[in-house]
Amino acid sequence: MNEKDLLLFKQLNAQLGVPLIPGLMVLDVRTTQFVKVELVLLKALLEERRPGLFISVDRPHQYIVHLLTMHGIDCRNLTFLDAVAHFSADSHPASVKVGFFRGPRNIDTLPEALKNWSAADGGPGFDLGKCGFAVIDNLSTLLNFNSQQMVRSFLNEFISALGGKVTIPLLVDRGRNPDLFQMIKEIGAGEISLAPEGASTFSNRSRLIISNSNNAGGY
Amino acid sequence: MEESKLARTDLMRIPAGIPGLDEMIEGGFPFPSVILVSGSAGTGKTTFALRFLCEGAARGEQGLYFTTLSEPTQWMMRFSSQFEFMRPEFFDDQIVYEDLGNMLREGNSEKLLDAIESRIAEVVPQRIVIDPITVVGEMFKDDYRQFLFDLTNRLKNWNATTVVTGEVRPGELYPPEISYAVDGIVLLNMAEELGARRKYLEVLKMRGTNHQTGKHCIDISRKDGIVVLKARF
Repeated sequence: MNEKDLLLFKQLNAQLGVPLIPGLMVLDVRTTQFVKVELVLLKALLEERRPGLFISVDRPHQYIVHLLTMHGIDCRNLTFLDAVAHFSADSHPASVKVGFFRGPRNIDTLPEALKNWSAADGGPGFDLGKCGFAVIDNLSTLLNFNSQQMVRSFLNEFISALGGKVTIPLLVDRGRNPDLFQMIKEIGAGEISLAPEGASTFSNRSRLIISNSNNAGGY
Repeated sequence: MEESKLARTDLMRIPAGIPGLDEMIEGGFPFPSVILVSGSAGTGKTTFALRFLCEGAARGEQGLYFTTLSEPTQWMMRFSSQFEFMRPEFFDDQIVYEDLGNMLREGNSEKLLDAIESRIAEVVPQRIVIDPITVVGEMFKDDYRQFLFDLTNRLKNWNATTVVTGEVRPGELYPPEISYAVDGIVLLNMAEELGARRKYLEVLKMRGTNHQTGKHCIDISRKDGIVVLKARF
């Protein structure tokens, strides 16, 4: 990671809170920077060593495992739910806890599948009650397969399935998906804004609204 | 618009940086994608690839340049520094130069693939170049198709647009082994007309793009590298 990434890491760390502040939050990120920001975000989230959930709907989970491993980020606390592995011709193995479900067209079935899978015998044994955070890689991809209404209802059910005690940071390119960004804010997400000096302040921690004097666009 | 319908967002595109080309391909290369730039010697493939990376660097994007020729960085930079778009400081951090020559000589395609992937995971680039890919074909004759299939499949999942260059034999448009696996093919061509050799660019394939067809005259200038010339009547 270069200096810019480390600055982003510090800013995210500050905004995610210690311990992690539960709730939905959204960060405006250019599509080309998704993987880079996701890497830094996961580093920040995994700092606390709490179990987390990573939902792969854009690329097979092995890529993120490889990315984290290459950057020396311990992903033993991360459990993956992979919705795209069945599309992929890539059979790269990765030794992590992983569950598979048919998606991303069947995204409406995920919250229920998550509850069942969590309790199922012989499964990866992920305990939703201990889940500290959940990351979706990435929400905009779902719009290629589902209507905005379906994505909205998925998000509502997903938040409810996680019991409201989980940090859920979503990365969205506001320039490309303004409706999606707005919809997430309507659901009640706080917005993470990044400033050069990390000058952000919490205007309302209970709703995770993070305001900033310099709201100059995405990362 | 009914809410039950899919939003059908346009493909994300990144400018190629070649003046005149972006207008032919709806604003740029799809992101992510793998684009083959093919042509015979001297048609401007490496210049194209460098311009693509420098365009990204100027926009704050990370670049990764894989060479298969074992050409030292300073040698490549010596020639490319003649172009105004080339800023040597890009090669400090924003464009990482990686020589695959030694790995190629080992002759293990799986190891080469892993080395490429590991470097990508380390650098996390938005723009990648492999120049030229056809050298790999000469080294891994039996495994080449499988290697290309695995390579292009994995490259697309790394959230980057990759330009691979391919050298062609006289009379050949593009290296046939890779053409089916890539998302786009840009042909750089030289033809003799009235006693002079003229250079052309043609977009043969660009998935998800309503691209212009036909040969377009190009010029290679010190200022911009390759420039697609507007038709003059």
